[in-house]
Amino acid sequence: MYRKILMGYDGSEAAEKAFENAMQLAKNNGAELYVVTVVRLLEIGDDVETEAVVENSREYHRKLLTPLRHRAEQAGIKAHFEVAVGHPAEQIIFHADRHQADLIVVGDRGRSKFARLLLGSVSKQVVQYAGRPVLVVR
Amino acid sequence: MTETWALAALWLGLALFAGLVSIWLRVATALSEIVVGVVAGAVLGTVLLGVDKEWIKFLAGAGAIVLTFLAGAELDPEVFRRKWKEATAVGLISFFAPFLGCTAAAYWLLGWSSDASWLAGVAMSTTSVAVVYAVMIEFGFNTTDYGKTVLAACFITDLGTVVALGLLFAPFTLKTLLFVGALVVVGLAVPWLTPRFFKRYGARASELEAKYLLVFLFGLGALATWADSEAVLPAYVLGMLLAGTVGRDHVLVRRLRTLCFGLLTPFYFIRAGSFVSLPALVAAPAAFLLMLVVKVATKVVGVYPVTQVFRSPRQEGMYTTLLMSTGLTFGTISSLFGLSKGIVDQSQYSALVAAVIASAVIPTLIANAWFMPRHLLPKAGTAGGETGAAVRPAPSKRS
Repeated sequence: MYRKILMGYDGSEAAEKAFENAMQLAKNNGAELYVVTVVRLLEIGDDVETEAVVENSREYHRKLLTPLRHRAEQAGIKAHFEVAVGHPAEQIIFHADRHQADLIVVGDRGRSKFARLLLGSVSKQVVQYAGRPVLVVR
Repeated sequence: MTETWALAALWLGLALFAGLVSIWLRVATALSEIVVGVVAGAVLGTVLLGVDKEWIKFLAGAGAIVLTFLAGAELDPEVFRRKWKEATAVGLISFFAPFLGCTAAAYWLLGWSSDASWLAGVAMSTTSVAVVYAVMIEFGFNTTDYGKTVLAACFITDLGTVVALGLLFAPFTLKTLLFVGALVVVGLAVPWLTPRFFKRYGARASELEAKYLLVFLFGLGALATWADSEAVLPAYVLGMLLAGTVGRDHVLVRRLRTLCFGLLTPFYFIRAGSFVSLPALVAAPAAFLLMLVVKVATKVVGVYPVTQVFRSPRQEGMYTTLLMSTGLTFGTISSLFGLSKGIVDQSQYSALVAAVIASAVIPTLIANAWFMPRHLLPKAGTAGGETGAAVRPAPSKRS
């Protein structure tokens, strides 16, 4: 049913669960798996530091993806890994559009209402704006 | 020494707190440090903070020099070589529009002296290269002609700012000529010498690369101040000239960043913030508001048409333009130069720093509220339809 599945990964416990589910779905459907992790920029940045943040975060996110790569290989899943830069929800939807994914899988961190008010919810934004099916894993 | 250590602990405590605030609020550490400096100055007073102690002035000044050098070293020389004509045109427009606009506003609308007005123009002319760079990556424009031109243009804008700062207020004596002559000679020699020196003596535990760079930065800084100019001018020029060697040595850049953010720049930005007079700002907010409005308006008038010439989508073009209005580092450096030289008084300085901070915060808030991230997302009811994201090229990795 699904040929291409894209998932957003941030290293959280919820993202771990989402990755497990995405792998299972990919295996059951013989689908390709696209894993995107997003470097979030400073809301208000400045010289030198912004570039330092981008560089450090990219390195951190690449390391984050390394074990997933091995797990996907071991499970025999054709998987692609990408480090994007920008707003997480926007980048997840953008990459889903770019790869013409049939399904987006994201984790829900289960933050408190107050934390959601302050920080927003990536999963909620993806559900709200994505033009394709979304699976939110809790 | 007890007093010195106690004071150092106080400053680094403030820097640590500012760093935590910047993480919690996801804002630049420089911004957080300036604000912490403003509060510390108001609560503790500049005397208790010891802002005029020589060692604090040295650390602060060294912070400005190394930070400016690193900002210059972010230039991509290959892109600049290919796009220098367009970049120079865009960069000069981006510099001159706010520079002349804010100078005129300060002189005719606020009644500031001509020197204070020129200084206001310089402080408001800046652009944060790194912020624009981040936006370009986010949109995936950093690999396009448009993105490369705008990025290279930002360096020209900042070069305009540091050249204006370094030469506009210098008395143009024999000293100035000697300083400019030395800068030209070093500028010609260093790109040749540096890779050879690094190849022969680099990658050792004694960190000779850092010492080598600091010799030139401090030496030229001394020459600049001797000529009544500003030490960040040679630092920025040297950074641009060494972008092809130092800028590509990630290990060295990271070490310099550690030195810069870990020890030096907190002293610069907290000290800069501590001179801001909140009572003066509250009593006369007109100057601050006028500088902010004129800066953003002139950046929009100057830069937005350029984005349209390159046929950038309108919202992305406006987003880029608004973020080109930010520029904490050079705005603060210019303002503090004016205060320390007596070109502006404390109330004028307070208005300028407040405008610099607001020009980093407000355009970003406007851009995020109106243009990000929803403008890139599919419109309601057009599932799978054309989106800003769908028409742009794929984001690529720089490193």
